[in-house]
Amino acid sequence: MLRIENLCARVEEKEILKGLNLHVKPGEVHAIMGPNGAGKSTLGSVLAGREAFEVTAGSVAFQGKDLLDLDVEARAHLGLFLAFQYPVEIPGVSNMEFLKSSVDAVRKARGKSDLSSVEFMKLAREASKKVKLDQAFLKRGVNEGFSGGEKKRNEILQMMLLEPSLCILDETDSGLDIDALQTVADGVNAMRSPDRSFVVVTHYQRLLDYIVPDYVHVLAGGKIVKSGDKSLAKELEAKGYSWLDGEVA
Amino acid sequence: MSEQVEHLIRKEYAAGFHTAIDTDTLPPGLNEDVVRFISAKKNEPEWLLEWRLQAFRAWLEMDEPNWAQLNYKAPDYQSISYFSSPKSMEDRPQSLDEVDPKLLETYEKLGIPLHEQEMLAGVAMDVVFDSVSVVTTFREKLSEAGVIFCSISEAVEKYPALVQKHLGSVVPQKDNYFAALNSAVFSDGSFVYIPKGVRCPMELSTYFRINEQNTGQFERTLIVAEEGSHVSYLEGCTAPMRDENQLHAAVVELVANDNAEIKYSTVQNWYPGDEDGKGGIYNFVTKRGVCHTRAKISWTQVETGSAVTWKYPSCVLRGDHSVGEFYSVALTNNYQQADTGTKMIHIGKNTRSTIISKGISAGKSQNTYRGLVRMNPGADGARNYTQCDSLLIGDRCGAHTFPYIESKNPSAVIEHEATTSKVSDDQMFLCQQRGLDPEKAVSMIVNGFCREVFKELPMEFAVEAGKLLEVSLEGSVG
Amino acid sequence: MGVLQARVLELAAIQNAPAWLSDLRYQGGERFAAASWPTRRTENWKYTSLAALAKKDVAAAHAESVEFNDLAMIDADAYRLVFINGVFSEKHSDALPPQVTTFAAASEEQITVVQRHLGRLADSSEHLFAALSQSVLEQGVLIHVAAGQCLDKPIYLLNYSAGKQACLASTRNLVVLEEGAQAEVFEQFNSDGDEQSNLVASQTEVVIGNNAKFKHYRLNLEREGITHAGGVFVELGRDALYSGFALTKGAVLIRNDYVLTHRGSGAHVELNGVYLPRGKQVVDYHTNIQHCVPHCTSSEVFRGIIGDQAKAVFNGRIHIHQDAQKTLAELSNKNLLTSNKAEVDTKPELEIYADDVRCAHGATVAQLNDESLYYLQSRGIDREQAQIMMSFGFINELIQSVENSDVVEFLMPILADQFGRKESLLQMEADALESL
Ligand SMILES: Nc1ncnc2c1ncn2[C@@H]1O[C@H](COP(=O)(O)OP(=O)(O)O)[C@@H](O)[C@H]1O
Ligand SMILES: [Mg+2]
Repeated sequence: MLRIENLCARVEEKEILKGLNLHVKPGEVHAIMGPNGAGKSTLGSVLAGREAFEVTAGSVAFQGKDLLDLDVEARAHLGLFLAFQYPVEIPGVSNMEFLKSSVDAVRKARGKSDLSSVEFMKLAREASKKVKLDQAFLKRGVNEGFSGGEKKRNEILQMMLLEPSLCILDETDSGLDIDALQTVADGVNAMRSPDRSFVVVTHYQRLLDYIVPDYVHVLAGGKIVKSGDKSLAKELEAKGYSWLDGEVA
Repeated sequence: MSEQVEHLIRKEYAAGFHTAIDTDTLPPGLNEDVVRFISAKKNEPEWLLEWRLQAFRAWLEMDEPNWAQLNYKAPDYQSISYFSSPKSMEDRPQSLDEVDPKLLETYEKLGIPLHEQEMLAGVAMDVVFDSVSVVTTFREKLSEAGVIFCSISEAVEKYPALVQKHLGSVVPQKDNYFAALNSAVFSDGSFVYIPKGVRCPMELSTYFRINEQNTGQFERTLIVAEEGSHVSYLEGCTAPMRDENQLHAAVVELVANDNAEIKYSTVQNWYPGDEDGKGGIYNFVTKRGVCHTRAKISWTQVETGSAVTWKYPSCVLRGDHSVGEFYSVALTNNYQQADTGTKMIHIGKNTRSTIISKGISAGKSQNTYRGLVRMNPGADGARNYTQCDSLLIGDRCGAHTFPYIESKNPSAVIEHEATTSKVSDDQMFLCQQRGLDPEKAVSMIVNGFCREVFKELPMEFAVEAGKLLEVSLEGSVG
Repeated sequence: MGVLQARVLELAAIQNAPAWLSDLRYQGGERFAAASWPTRRTENWKYTSLAALAKKDVAAAHAESVEFNDLAMIDADAYRLVFINGVFSEKHSDALPPQVTTFAAASEEQITVVQRHLGRLADSSEHLFAALSQSVLEQGVLIHVAAGQCLDKPIYLLNYSAGKQACLASTRNLVVLEEGAQAEVFEQFNSDGDEQSNLVASQTEVVIGNNAKFKHYRLNLEREGITHAGGVFVELGRDALYSGFALTKGAVLIRNDYVLTHRGSGAHVELNGVYLPRGKQVVDYHTNIQHCVPHCTSSEVFRGIIGDQAKAVFNGRIHIHQDAQKTLAELSNKNLLTSNKAEVDTKPELEIYADDVRCAHGATVAQLNDESLYYLQSRGIDREQAQIMMSFGFINELIQSVENSDVVEFLMPILADQFGRKESLLQMEADALESL
């Protein structure tokens, strides 16, 4: 599904990723943990193709294609989805129009026809029920005036509608209360399937009680410094990241 | 209000003394002969006389501008004397020791101890007294670095090619009414030349002083910074207290060649007139700089004096990646009127400009920010940020903001914001509760309001500027 | 004297108007004749040239017979009055309620109201275009709502320019709301093709009494060839409310002056506007909010997208007089240039003579936000589509704040057309609006 080899990237002349490797097979759930500023969000941005982030070395293959060669939207068409740590507000652009446009665009890339408005509205409503987001939010501007939790729910809602094959969740848990966390986790778990993979970036072990990962990796100093199974997360929680200081080159 | 404050209100303009020295003053009036007289007096070459005459003839055809938010009786240009020079200056002094001691005393009173400056501060200074440059300090040290810093008359004599090349290259003779007048009759001013790659070893500074009655002051400053050079220049101004309005119409031209940087700071404390609005200087000044590739010009001004101020220090951002800045504090009290601001003309690609303007109005004064930001079609990726804040003290004054924003480039970004506020009762209450008297509280709040600009001033000036505000605000808290 | 000025004076001399308007008409003519034609040095016309207009020749207003088969209209239950080339068309107009009359049909009492107010706010000695329309004063509407009354339906003033010949289509509207009265007015301007080149002079004066409320929509939807000399002059009494929305697509020149004066404390002005010039069109909005008394508020937002070789001028003045303590006034103007031949000139102005006030203005010229574009793209939307969505969003924020949903529904397809947006999206929105 995803093969990252020796990925190096920088932003504004600053090296952030320094030789990162990660292999994700279909159906797997990988958790990435690490201290603040380790480069977790940078990894997400590089994978999604954000312009300011420059890849200086390494390769990323996704679904057998060279991911780094593609435009932002082409990556989305191919099934890559990034749930942003800080979703941006776009006042004036209605959430509904936004969702319909993106669903149509992704469907088109997969050779499917546009949904009728009625079909789409049905889907959108179901999804918004699942993430417990009031339907009124569909009418508002994209993330406009949403609380932190509502923005995160909106990200999950988009994920449900776009049916991606690889979902990268960047600290989707941060700033959520227990109920919201449960909702988000339920949403993710409901989408788990043999041909869909997840990369769950989180700062806290807490989320992993709800979304149980197959692998846990620690990202520090721009690379994966330790990998293990879900017990690694517990260990990190107990000992803190300084426990790994020796491992950071 | 407290007795102390009463006392402060009555306090006089500290720089308002007159120095009794013999002067050589032209009788009032303006015609071609006056222009010829000035030129001859200064032994000027033919080209310069011709240049002056062109300006004079253009001036005759021009109308005094009336678009500013200013209300004053236009000066009678025929009742002004266009040349006044201390007699003892007939033979120019070569060093400080030769300067008329009375003059030096004047500068002591102004708080400019030349001798001390020379020894301590390391600030090189040119002093313009009425129409004539009296003395320039620190010559040798500067000339070692290749820096030329002298009066413009001297520059005309010694470096005619440099002057001829640059004079009027930024502010043409016919640029505007006051610039044309200045071009015709300018008597003196400062000239600075920083050669390629040189970082001027010290701050350069000019003090201007109008002393004689019925004289106008028309100085002209020209600063040329060659490729990769760097200079910081300060000017200060004062005048004696007089009941008549005196005219000051200066022109300042800055040329910043590739990668050069010019920082130009002004603390303007011309006599503002008395509390009934009688007397004071009319300050009509044209200041402009041209930036070539990656050059930077930064204007910082603290304007507290003058009865009427008409002044828009500007940057023409001709070269790609060049930078223009304008930091201004303008304070008006009593019947003062100021119409001041800047123009940022973006011509080159990726040019950047920042405008921070703080206007403080007190008494019955009127304080106007007027600015232009223009993005030409070629100014790809250019950026401007403007912040204009006004503070009103009392309900008889006015604060106005007139920004002109013009863009012809779709990739240019302009952001302009303006706010108006007053010294709030809550702020005052807090300060007073903590034991500050109202005057002190206001001056503290005002200083805070101006902080962004003061931090752009050289250290010594920043302190002086703060004090100046305090003095200028006296009597404004009711 | 230019061609236009001379011609207007000829037209002024032709007397068809009701006799009771003749004094005003005469005054207008005198002032228009005496006016010195604005140049670039005239501050109010610094960025908009009237050189071409000075040479424009126009004929007298004449009725054309028109069928409105495909003209888009606001689908609202309203009293509609139609003016074709500035001439009232009874055929296209609804029966009017007693509060509304054309000048020609005014009663004695209504005449008194018109005579008291007409030309008082639209000062023809100060406003060139007010003098222009006043000099050929004849056609117009009076809306006079008595104290405490509320008009049961909006008044819909439709101005249509038609025919091959360019004429001077001039209308004057006067709205007088007595204490506590309420009314809502749509003004819509259209023309029947790019060739149609009328000079449309249309001024509206609004006197809002104490506690009265007025909602006002002024939509300049004329095509390419029109020159529009417009003005809205409003006076607000104590606790009065003016809520206005303005929209202009652009033409040879569309100029609208808004002058709003607070005369009673506690009054509020809300004014939003949108301009979208393209091609070689020019749009010019000059707004002027006069705070003369304490405790009033005003909030103003204008946004524009300027494409091709078009030009937009915005001048937003807030004037706080000495007595207007405790004023809150805000103005924001944002612009998007979408072509390297487009131009915008904006000048937000503050003139303040009172200290205990909070005033702020902001103006920007910028591009679409990169971060937002990236977000849309990361969801699979291509860049071009994302740009269209965001440009539309930039304007849509203001459209969505329009209170009257009939007006919103009317504007949506017009804007969609302007932005080349997918019709299906609109349909979906409409469906969704219903189903939600
Ligand atoms: N747009 C940017 N410009 C400059 N530096 C950035 C930018 N984005 C991230 N960084 C820097 O890169 C480093 C890694 O950031 P990030 O990937 O957000 O860390 P994490 O998500 O692991 O907390 C930090 O030092 C951060 O300051
Ligand atoms: Mg992060």
